[in-house]
Amino acid sequence: MTTQPSKLWPKMTGWEEFHFLTDFVLEHSSGDHTSLTLYDQHGGTTRFANNQIVQNVDTRRGSLAVTVAFGRRHGTATTTDFTAGAVQDTLKRAEHIARVSPEDPEYLPPVGPKQYLSLPTNRPETAVAGPARRLEYAREAVSQCKMENLNSAGTVSSSLTAVGVAANTGLLAYEERTEARFSLTVQADDATGWAAAAHRSIDHLKVQERTLTAIEKAKRGADEPKELEAGRYTVILEPAAVAGLLSWMLWMLDAKSFDKGTSPFVGKLGQRIIDRRLTLRNQPDHADLLGSGFTSDGLPVTESVWIEGGVLKQLMYDRFTAREHGIEPIATLESPCLSGERPAGSRVSDLIRTTQRGILVTNFWYIRTVNPTDLTLTGMTRDGTFLVENGEIVTAVRNFRFHESPLRAFNQIDAFTAPAEAVTSETGKLLVPAMRIHNFNFSSVTRF
Amino acid sequence: MSAGTGYTEYGPDICSSTLASHIMTTPQWDELADLALTRLRGAGVEYGDVRVIDSATQTIRGEDRRIAKIREGSDRGIGIRVLYRGAWGFAASSVLSLEEIPRIADQAVDIAKGSASLAIEKVHLAHEPVHRDSIVTAHRVDPFTVPLEEKTSLLLEIMDYVHRQHGIVRSAASLWAQRDRKLFVSTEGSHIDYDLLAVQGDFSATGLYDGRFATRSFTTPHLRTGYELITGTNFLAEAPRVATQAMEKVRAPIIDSGRYDLVLDPEHLSLTMHESCGHPSELDRALGYEANYAGTSFLTPDRRGNFRYGSGHVNLVADNTEPETLAATGYDDDGVACQKWDIVRDGMFVGYCTNREVALKINEGRSRGSNRADSWSSVPIVRIANIGLETGGATLDELLSDVKRGLYIEGHGSYSIDQRRYNFQFGGDAFWLIENGRRTHMVRDVIYHGITPEFWNSCDGIADRSHRRRYGFITCGKGQPGQSGWMTHAASHARFRQVQVIQGGAQT
Repeated sequence: MTTQPSKLWPKMTGWEEFHFLTDFVLEHSSGDHTSLTLYDQHGGTTRFANNQIVQNVDTRRGSLAVTVAFGRRHGTATTTDFTAGAVQDTLKRAEHIARVSPEDPEYLPPVGPKQYLSLPTNRPETAVAGPARRLEYAREAVSQCKMENLNSAGTVSSSLTAVGVAANTGLLAYEERTEARFSLTVQADDATGWAAAAHRSIDHLKVQERTLTAIEKAKRGADEPKELEAGRYTVILEPAAVAGLLSWMLWMLDAKSFDKGTSPFVGKLGQRIIDRRLTLRNQPDHADLLGSGFTSDGLPVTESVWIEGGVLKQLMYDRFTAREHGIEPIATLESPCLSGERPAGSRVSDLIRTTQRGILVTNFWYIRTVNPTDLTLTGMTRDGTFLVENGEIVTAVRNFRFHESPLRAFNQIDAFTAPAEAVTSETGKLLVPAMRIHNFNFSSVTRF
Repeated sequence: MSAGTGYTEYGPDICSSTLASHIMTTPQWDELADLALTRLRGAGVEYGDVRVIDSATQTIRGEDRRIAKIREGSDRGIGIRVLYRGAWGFAASSVLSLEEIPRIADQAVDIAKGSASLAIEKVHLAHEPVHRDSIVTAHRVDPFTVPLEEKTSLLLEIMDYVHRQHGIVRSAASLWAQRDRKLFVSTEGSHIDYDLLAVQGDFSATGLYDGRFATRSFTTPHLRTGYELITGTNFLAEAPRVATQAMEKVRAPIIDSGRYDLVLDPEHLSLTMHESCGHPSELDRALGYEANYAGTSFLTPDRRGNFRYGSGHVNLVADNTEPETLAATGYDDDGVACQKWDIVRDGMFVGYCTNREVALKINEGRSRGSNRADSWSSVPIVRIANIGLETGGATLDELLSDVKRGLYIEGHGSYSIDQRRYNFQFGGDAFWLIENGRRTHMVRDVIYHGITPEFWNSCDGIADRSHRRRYGFITCGKGQPGQSGWMTHAASHARFRQVQVIQGGAQT
């Protein structure tokens, strides 16, 4: 955790300013409980398409949320205006809402003072990376694609965010978090290749390496893709594709839905839900994950085990449901890492080499639930779908729609690699293995 | 409204008074905008615009017979966009001060200079007349003046009604309202101020039976109007029906996979149109601007005027002039006046949603006025217009009567479509089997899929104007960083022949 205020202009809300803001709000509040949450972000994105910049933005946005409670009546007001009058006005609005709200039987006072992990969430190289650094990376990716006579589209972004949570219970947490992202789609005629990265440090985006990966995929697909019939196939899912399926599983771990019977995990807590070789942990201090010290509720993030040996060990608890069950402390899941015993190697190529016939999937797109009871999902393959035969990629194939539940697919795993960084446009960042899965259901084929 | 309304004049920033931070003055919006324009003109930009926005949002969310959240948000700031040497730059800030404006104006210009260093083709803007106007949403009751107690009572009563149905285990109900006060000025001389409202309410019931659960929902459209939308909706009359149908849905039988005729209701069609017609008709996608995220489009410019998108029954019209609809804001964020035009006429693809930049690339002299940003901090991008399906001449009963074995689908469910908008798959909120021209009983877990032009070419009947309904979208995702687009899609019921239907479960 960083406590030194940034030297950037416009000046970010530093630790001392947040402390001052907290005192100001708490001193003026008439509520039984008052809490405030700060997000003050300065960042930007350079976006390119057709090998030139189409959008180039830099934004400063400060936001303050104030929640007031009288007994079990509570209300929240937010503002982006940090002038004294506006903050007072925000507090008054929150007080007014709380006064006229009905009692909420699930209301709990804010948490008290806590100890937090001290994590290197603020990387100075990202904090000072402005439009010039983003442009430099964009130019690097575009130049490589132009040299290959390929068309590129992508983004480079970086940001510094000051995050604070405080309350009149003594809660006071503050952290500065940096984040940098790179994503690239390379087009070769009708084919596309893709790669993406996210990291606290902009120095770790590996722009050149990932650009080459996307170029290689696009070039492999440039010949007329073969159309295969829909059906069940052995698939090799790259880490991004695994992340897409796994993320939907994690989003459905809500304990309250579990209690009400409206969760796909009803009856499965303590049961084996995926391959027995796999374990899912929360690893907030992992250098390649976007770990942070505390949650938006002010709860400390925790190292925790969610799935062990394929067995579901943990649900996602809100504070009320956790209290009902006597759960303390509440496990958090911001930095998921899925790993397994006896990986078949560290690279996707290790799985390709030992595959007799299968479909290699770079990424999935537009994943949505079809049936929440059994967690059947649908989505499309995207940006590099290939036929593998006798240990080699033999041709690109037209993209498939899948219709499959991760609760079924992750029990059909034949082999997997060591975990690798995975980030997509629809998920956060995870560490997950590539997997070879049998009988994966592709329900239809598209035109490209 | 007059520009500057909504700016609260208070003292200095509470941090700055002791710690030398952000705000030292309290200028009016016009003063800020003039300062920015002066700075941009001094820098020699080819074009610049400034948007100052104050968005107030009220969200009240009920869950399982309690009010879980009441939140009032105020989101205020300024965004400055410039075109310099044929390249774009944009900078924005939530700090509205005379010190901050020159900084972000200069930064927007500097960023544009950087963009220009990587330019291949210079950006040119289609001509648009200078507009000086004031836009106010017509309404009878300001939703922000309605007592919160009245709103929370309504939501609690709705949820109570829902839970009277045996088997219902979960409920949700919410009300939402937003006011956007905005000033748009450009270096070309346009000056437009806005006071826009939008309102919506909804609820749902979830039933549990035999280890399965299913949800049935009800929503008003999102409309640009006042609280009269809520008071004019009989939520309490709808609640028992929705709860009953939630239990009917969870107990309903599944159907065999195969080809079925479909009759789709207007709410369901709003999503089908949005995904399979709206997005592919965005010209920036067709030109590759979204290739890295939202995707491209099968409706490429060479297909305009000669591609059969649907049957002769299908006329899809973009209308950003229809009162109360979300994209009918008078002008877009290029300062272009809202218009009405054809996307598909007699089944042929004929038109795109455009902005001032991309319109010229297909030799259209004027933008269609579909360039929108979701806040002061976002740069405007091409957005789907209010695209609607022109009504036909049939009644709903007439559409059903000619179906031997089919499905009637209401509302939104699962949805997914590929990045060029060919291969789609939709569920729905409720399904009924049609047998020999009559809806007989509910069925569950229905999914249909197809290829967009094949699907729209199977349309052989559309209901008349008396069946027409409008539905709004406020979470249409596009752009990097992601933005939420707002638009309304209107339709009456329509019939599609022999569409592939599958069961929505892992056993399929």
